[in-house]
Amino acid sequence: MMEQKRIAIYGKGGIGKSSTASNVAAACADEGYKVMIIGCDPKSDSSITLLGGKRIPTILDLLRQKIDVKEEDIVYEGYKGVKCVEVGGPEPGIGCAGRGIIVAIQKLRQMCKSIDDMDLIIYDVPGDIVCGGFVAPIRKGLVNEAYILTSGEYMPLYAANNICKGLAKIDTPLSGIICNSRSVTREEEIVRKFSEEIGSKLMAFIPKEQIVQDCERDGFSVLEKAPDSPVAGVYRELAHAIMSNDSSVLPSSLEDERLRELTR
Amino acid sequence: MAENDISIIHPRPSSIVAALYTLRDLNVDVAILHGPPGCSFKHARLLEEDGIHVVTTALDENGFIFGGREELSTMLVKVNEMFNPKLIGVVGTCVSMIIGEELSEPVKDANLDVPVIGVEVHAGFPNNTKGVLIALESACEAGVITDEELERQKVLLTEATNVEKRHGAASKEYLVPSRGDLKYKVAEKVINYLKEGKKCLTIMNAKKETGYMFADITVAINEVAAQLGVADNVINMANVDDTLGLPRVRQHATYIMNDFREKGIVIHEIIGGMDEYPIAGELVSKLIAEKYSDFDFAVITGVPHAIPMDNLQNMDVISVTNGPRQVFPLKDMGHSNVIVEIDLHPKTLGVNNIVESEFGATIREVVKDMQNAEEA
Repeated sequence: MMEQKRIAIYGKGGIGKSSTASNVAAACADEGYKVMIIGCDPKSDSSITLLGGKRIPTILDLLRQKIDVKEEDIVYEGYKGVKCVEVGGPEPGIGCAGRGIIVAIQKLRQMCKSIDDMDLIIYDVPGDIVCGGFVAPIRKGLVNEAYILTSGEYMPLYAANNICKGLAKIDTPLSGIICNSRSVTREEEIVRKFSEEIGSKLMAFIPKEQIVQDCERDGFSVLEKAPDSPVAGVYRELAHAIMSNDSSVLPSSLEDERLRELTR
Repeated sequence: MAENDISIIHPRPSSIVAALYTLRDLNVDVAILHGPPGCSFKHARLLEEDGIHVVTTALDENGFIFGGREELSTMLVKVNEMFNPKLIGVVGTCVSMIIGEELSEPVKDANLDVPVIGVEVHAGFPNNTKGVLIALESACEAGVITDEELERQKVLLTEATNVEKRHGAASKEYLVPSRGDLKYKVAEKVINYLKEGKKCLTIMNAKKETGYMFADITVAINEVAAQLGVADNVINMANVDDTLGLPRVRQHATYIMNDFREKGIVIHEIIGGMDEYPIAGELVSKLIAEKYSDFDFAVITGVPHAIPMDNLQNMDVISVTNGPRQVFPLKDMGHSNVIVEIDLHPKTLGVNNIVESEFGATIREVVKDMQNAEEA
């Protein structure tokens, strides 16, 4: 039996973590892997394209209602049997999202028996590593590989660089960088260079394609709605690269000046 | 919230403090509170009276923002040098747990040769026994206690919580604290009962170290009965089995038993270990039904509300507690007198001999006065 892969995808907010995570999940499910996706973003949109546009109750929604949460209340089967879980969050501006993740992750660990049977578990972590709560999946031993999603723009790279500092701080190796293109100049070259300089590697370059947006708006992954599109092929390759990846490094990080130079 | 749930509005014992006491019972030499300097101050100081060092990482506003990984690892190194401990405990607080502090990473950073029990606990649990449970689970993970002991403790903790919900401090939304009945009045009543030749049951069902003071009431009643020539009318029960419980808890039982023996007090029925106060009631009830159903009155000390009333209906029940909020629940149960030993806990920490109780002292004085009055 293969060793279970438990990955977390970090990256600047709005860079496309959720759509990448759900497309990778779908591609792996196509290959026959047992996949679970755990969305930690309050928008709870990691799983929505795997469930035909349907939103599922989040762990924190149920906890807020003081419901005695059971596995079947929080784990939903989507495209090709992908198991979907959403952590959720407090209302904007109220409470503490980081604490929410800590508590939800503890609950999930207690409740969810099927987690052990998975080949791949993807934690779609919110945004940057901004506080202790956001790294809870790693710290609680639930994640053994981290990936960073970025584009070739300065801000996402800045965030990626910060995340590298965070991973080094908590002794968690980085397994690779994924570039989600925003069609900026020399993008692939910039991100490849960044990956190398922090000691990692570029896993995939996902081109910016309208079809990804269109499928998302309809509530589907590209793999389900447009399986023959070229970008579906890119996601398949990324999925394959992740499933066969066995190298990771404790990342170093770049000086601010170097980061600017890279993107100029 | 479910309709039947009582929402208790007076402050309750905290899970953080419960975890600290559990670490003490596991014989840690130092407990580090990871959080703000004022957290659990009163109990932290009290526990120092009990021979363990309690220190704090004293996180301030900066610590709340930036975390306290370094503060904790530095503190671990420091206490290791200062106190040369054999076992260390680290206890989370509300602040450090909310901001997502990890306790095992600083322990790794400090790289000590001493085992460290990291207890990730805050005070946001409805039952403070949760703090005990988390501490014991962490101790089990660290190899300090066995799986069997953990299982045994879990049973006791569940029952302790049930006891509090049934008749204890968690039985009502709000409980008015009370000093209970006047001690000399009740002392007079007990002495008169003994004089009249009535048969007396003393039942000490004490929680751990509080037994050092509750035992004194057993002693006082036996002394007076001996003076009055009715020693045989008194039967003593006590939860002083010294083969059960965490290391320090077994030791309390040994010390108290030694004192009983030295003072010539016979404990006719041992009703469990000093951590078995939530479950000892059943055995007490059974013993009364089988052997002591014709007794006239009972003096129950410690955790009286854990003793079922079923077989006490025909006796006059007098109880002694250390919880001012316990007075009215005990009266509701049918106890005719309830006495509170104020400040019992501070006086029973760090001791290894029976400590004089106010009620015990009162009984001794009142009997003297009564005898003087008769002679005059």
